[in-house]
Amino acid sequence: MHIVVPIKLAPDLVEDLEIDAGGAALDRTFLRLIINEFDDHAIEQAFLLKERGGGQVTIVAPDLEGADDVLYTAAAKGADRLIKLIGDFSAGVNCHALARTLAKVIGDLHPDLVLTGVQAHDDLDGAVGPLLAEHLGMPYLGYVAGLTVSDGKCMARKEYPGGLVAEMDVALPAVFGIQAAEKPPRYVVTSLITQAMKSATIEEIETGEFDSGGAAAVERMSRLEATTHAEMIEGSTDQVADKLVAVLRERGLLAPRG
Amino acid sequence: MPIRETFWNIPHWAELVQYVLMVLTMLVFTYGVFRRIRRWRQGRPERRTDRLGARLGSVVVHAVGQVRTAREAYAGIMHLAIFWGMIALLMGTALATVDWDVTRLFFGFQFLTGGVYVVYELVLDVLGLLVLIGLTMAIVRRYMLRPARLGNAPRPILAWDDAYVLVMLMLIALSGYLVEGLRIAVVQPEWARWSPVGRMVAGWFIALGDPTNRNLHIALWSSHAVIAFTFIASIPFTKLFHLIAAPANIFFRSLQPGGTLTVTPADREPGVKVWRDFTWKEILDFEACVRCGRCQDVCPAYSSGLPLSPRDVMIKLDAHIWARGNGHALAGDVITPDELWACTTCRACSQACPVFVDHLASIVDLRRSLLAQQKADARLMDTLGTVRRYGNSFGKSDRQRALWTQGLEPRIKDIRKEPAHTLWFVGDYASYSPTLLEITRATARVFRHAGMDFGLLYEAERNVGNDVRRVGEEGLYELLAMKNKAALDKCDYAEIVTTDPHTYNALKNEYGLTRPVYHYTEVLERLLASGQLSLIDRSTHVVTYHDPCYLGRYNGVYDAPRRVLEAIGCRVVEMPRHRECGLCCGAGGGRIWMQETPGAKERPAESRVREAAAVPDVGILVVSCPKDLVMFQDALKTTGLEGKIVVKDLIELVDEAIQGGTPQ
Ligand code: SF4
Ligand code: SF4
Repeated sequence: MHIVVPIKLAPDLVEDLEIDAGGAALDRTFLRLIINEFDDHAIEQAFLLKERGGGQVTIVAPDLEGADDVLYTAAAKGADRLIKLIGDFSAGVNCHALARTLAKVIGDLHPDLVLTGVQAHDDLDGAVGPLLAEHLGMPYLGYVAGLTVSDGKCMARKEYPGGLVAEMDVALPAVFGIQAAEKPPRYVVTSLITQAMKSATIEEIETGEFDSGGAAAVERMSRLEATTHAEMIEGSTDQVADKLVAVLRERGLLAPRG
Repeated sequence: MPIRETFWNIPHWAELVQYVLMVLTMLVFTYGVFRRIRRWRQGRPERRTDRLGARLGSVVVHAVGQVRTAREAYAGIMHLAIFWGMIALLMGTALATVDWDVTRLFFGFQFLTGGVYVVYELVLDVLGLLVLIGLTMAIVRRYMLRPARLGNAPRPILAWDDAYVLVMLMLIALSGYLVEGLRIAVVQPEWARWSPVGRMVAGWFIALGDPTNRNLHIALWSSHAVIAFTFIASIPFTKLFHLIAAPANIFFRSLQPGGTLTVTPADREPGVKVWRDFTWKEILDFEACVRCGRCQDVCPAYSSGLPLSPRDVMIKLDAHIWARGNGHALAGDVITPDELWACTTCRACSQACPVFVDHLASIVDLRRSLLAQQKADARLMDTLGTVRRYGNSFGKSDRQRALWTQGLEPRIKDIRKEPAHTLWFVGDYASYSPTLLEITRATARVFRHAGMDFGLLYEAERNVGNDVRRVGEEGLYELLAMKNKAALDKCDYAEIVTTDPHTYNALKNEYGLTRPVYHYTEVLERLLASGQLSLIDRSTHVVTYHDPCYLGRYNGVYDAPRRVLEAIGCRVVEMPRHRECGLCCGAGGGRIWMQETPGAKERPAESRVREAAAVPDVGILVVSCPKDLVMFQDALKTTGLEGKIVVKDLIELVDEAIQGGTPQ
């Protein structure tokens, strides 16, 4: 079984984000990148599957600051192949371009499972997972919180609000959008990462030109401005409901009574 | 003339049999010792043969003088009485044998004659009594008082070992007196009054008359000899082995600053997974432990009801290295992760241990391996990830590290850009914790008031790694230390000061820096003594002072903070547990990053604030560690002692004293 996990590096929200002079993108001078939190869960889920049923785990990362760290950390956890995509990622690459690029690379790897983080906070118009599945011609299932693989078939667990859980059989190969691994991502001690840096090799694959077609264009980026304070509606359930209806009517969001 | 006839009433063959027995005893003894040494040598190498003079001195003070043993009155008197009594009796017996079978036989003279002999008899007679007193104390304590710390829960079979030693010692002493008494009963020498106990025993037998007494004598003499030889032969196989292992452990103890840890070679898996991963010295620790339980008594984890007793750890590890089929991983069935993670690394245990067991070396070594297998608290691992990424445990940007300086005018020097005499290494807590913001600013104010020329590393500073290291994340410690040292190397400064004892310990003892490192209390003491720091208003507070583990036990800084408090006019009243015996606040060794363990009786910090609140007249618990402040303020809330006592950092009191207007 071959599991491929493509990961994204997203802006670290611990740092202050600035908008660049053009007003339509983040200022990347002070930006720091961190592995997309959901991708970290995808990696963990891959190792959980490997621990249970064996197989091979390949991690694919774009050539950005922090990519080597992510790859070697994955190697210390037991990744079998590390791939770095070489291309001009520095100005930011949208999900469509990324999905097309990944599809080319991952298609050649002949994976049984592709695990991606279900979303990232810089996904502008849709997540990478579904786009990638489309290009690869594989089924996609998102918001997955657990996977079991047996005899070429996969059972995925999805959690819904209100405590509902669905279990779905998916034919492999398939792409999954992982919302949470079954266990929180593991911590691997630094000395093992240092050892991995010495022993593991990162393969490099050229991406060529990016094709960003199909994406929405950003016209303006701005900070959320705190406006007026929220108004608390108090009273009994009926009173609150009446008040709410009145407010909605007042704003023209509900047809006037009649 | 009084003279010693050593083998009185002993047929020649019995004397010869005795020498045969002696040779056998030595053979068994040597084999036993060899067997132990062979086990030690299966550990990893570690160099412990530097500074031989200091090592021998330490053996004299602590193995022969038993200074630490004597710290406790009851146990001290008990042990010293038995030990010195037995040593004297052994030497007495040896002297008598030499007198009779060496000097008399080969050189034709005896030295145990006349006055010398009389004194010899008297001294031995009295010291024998000392042994009996010590043994009685031991029996009363172990079987009637039964303190918890002498229990054998982790290995019940050890109760036999304990009993064996007491019974054997008792038999040796009693049979010795009986042999002496019977001899006196028959011979009735005129100098018998110099053996008061022997003469008293003789009194019981005189009526039986000769030859009954002669026959009794030879029977008891033989028994005495057999028991004594058995005793000696059993030394390497029972807890008596501490007669050898304790001095050895004291000789080979670490002469580094307290708390220096072992080093795992870079190409190995981190820490100790199976027992052969321990260094030989760690294995020696297990063997030297006499199970006295002093470490358990002072352990904050144990007393707060957590599943850790440093004594039990030693007992279990010792049992394990001798057990059959012991090749498997230690963490799990031998020592549980919960035990290992409960330790605050306060070092109270090794400070109390009479034989200088270094519990932390083993505990941290085992933690390293646990962590490598992710068998650790989830919050702890999260925090380590945060430290690795951001260089601080708060998960904030390094660009915000000096946010606390905002508004301080003039701006504090950036030591990366301009030289300053003092480099202030602020540390994570003082930099980022909102609770400590005002205290850190007060520190800057006091430093300025004293005219200190100081600067900061600003965002180049990283978590120092002291606690990261004690959690068992050696690689991350090395990474942090490397970054900090690189930043320090580029700066021009004469000394380092920090308010955080954990930071202080790492910078001072583990970074290998060439310039001196001071805790702020040491600097303040110096400034006050030289008059450089002038006070406007002397304080009138009655306070008690909490010794932070990493300042006190790890670095021996006990006086500086107390002198500062006195210099600013405070009256310091001590809590029962202070200085070397100070109680840990519970935050150390990474505990502050772990989830609260459910089921604990009382957290160490709570026990500590109760202790402080119970000291008469005291209204302030003074601390000199940023973590203490956080821990104790929280404990005040949970114990409901908020109105009774307040927690203050020492700098706050100094700040009041330099500003005037002490708020009461
Ligand atoms: S260092 Fe402190 S907490 Fe740890 S075992 Fe020793 S006494 Fe207990
Ligand atoms: S480790 Fe030291 S203090 Fe603890 S029981 Fe053993 S000998 Fe006593």
